[in-house]
Amino acid sequence: MIDLTTELHFFIGKGGVGKSTLAALTALSISDCKKPAQLVSMDPAHNQSDIFGCRLSSVPQRVHPYLDVAEINCDQWIRKYLKDTQNHLKDAYRYQEAFNLHGYFDILQFAPGLEEYALLLAFEQILQTAGDSNIVILDMPPTALSLKFFSLPFLSLLWLEALLKLRRDICAAKKIISRIRFGRTTVEQDKVKARLGAMIDNHRLLCDRFRAPSTHIHLVVNPEPLSLSEAVRIRSKLDGLGLAVDRIMVNKTTAGSDLKIVQKSFQDRSMTCYPLSPERLCGAQALTNYLKNRAYTIQTEG
Amino acid sequence: MNRPRLNHAIRWLKQACRRLWKAADATAREKAVEVLVYENEEREHIFALLVLGMFVGLPAPPLHLTMALAPLMEREMMLMLEKVGTAHDPLADLFGVLKID
Repeated sequence: MIDLTTELHFFIGKGGVGKSTLAALTALSISDCKKPAQLVSMDPAHNQSDIFGCRLSSVPQRVHPYLDVAEINCDQWIRKYLKDTQNHLKDAYRYQEAFNLHGYFDILQFAPGLEEYALLLAFEQILQTAGDSNIVILDMPPTALSLKFFSLPFLSLLWLEALLKLRRDICAAKKIISRIRFGRTTVEQDKVKARLGAMIDNHRLLCDRFRAPSTHIHLVVNPEPLSLSEAVRIRSKLDGLGLAVDRIMVNKTTAGSDLKIVQKSFQDRSMTCYPLSPERLCGAQALTNYLKNRAYTIQTEG
Repeated sequence: MNRPRLNHAIRWLKQACRRLWKAADATAREKAVEVLVYENEEREHIFALLVLGMFVGLPAPPLHLTMALAPLMEREMMLMLEKVGTAHDPLADLFGVLKID
């Protein structure tokens, strides 16, 4: 069951803008307020190990009094998913084992589209196992994969609803045929329809979770044209899915940065600026020190 | 003809009539649904094409949907294979069902 109450903070943006660093800073500032939080890296690049200066894994590890950090192993989730799928296929085509043909299913691991689905499975698992952490901060992969991740449940739902409508028509026609043929309606359980119904319920929950008021999307940009134009495209794509960006986080600002261009592009959103750090932000202490001294917020009128 | 023989003949005649009626009824019912069955098989075929269309180069749903549904779609796959036989002349198939010569 997907929990709708846990507060979620997604950090998205162009590769290299500092999503992981700002996710870590946010996680630490929440943890400093003595609120239990969990920071999860969904980015296959896994920078959190370097940022916190310790070896992390898919099992949450405590790095600060109220903060646990974990890194999602995408390949592991793909393998798990394929294993389940292969078992499912083998149940249906068990006779192939007599000829040792089932090994050909192994090629499925290279099928396109699996990476974002693996992320979605991992995300469901995170929600189910968030435990005492009422706040989960998700350090997302670069734009392309993040957007595929966000759009997957919505896109799947469109397909599922269209397929279910067609399946219902098929079942209704079968009932009519049975009534005419045998003079009575024979009730036959349609496994495909039942499966479609279950999948729709699950995908609706995921869409609701993305659109819930407790879900926040933070868009990270640098004060330079390339990351800014990508951020505008990300926002437009998310708008199309009905997902709102909560906050713009301008990272690596300097005295000469032109923040007006960022403000102009995101007039109706609050902006938080994070000046470029002169030293490398590595370790919880360095991050905490940075937070105390550097961040400031620009509130723009909507 | 003695009475038991007559009764036996009447019973046999009744059963024969019942069988004849049943056969005629079944044939009429089968005739009545012929077009509906064809139409519904086409629906099932379209469903199969939508879910498994990637195998013939059609736009497909996200992969995990196909993977979840494919193992339950043995009947639809058989239908797809049957359709291959008539794919070169689809109108003949349709005209056959509609009894158009």
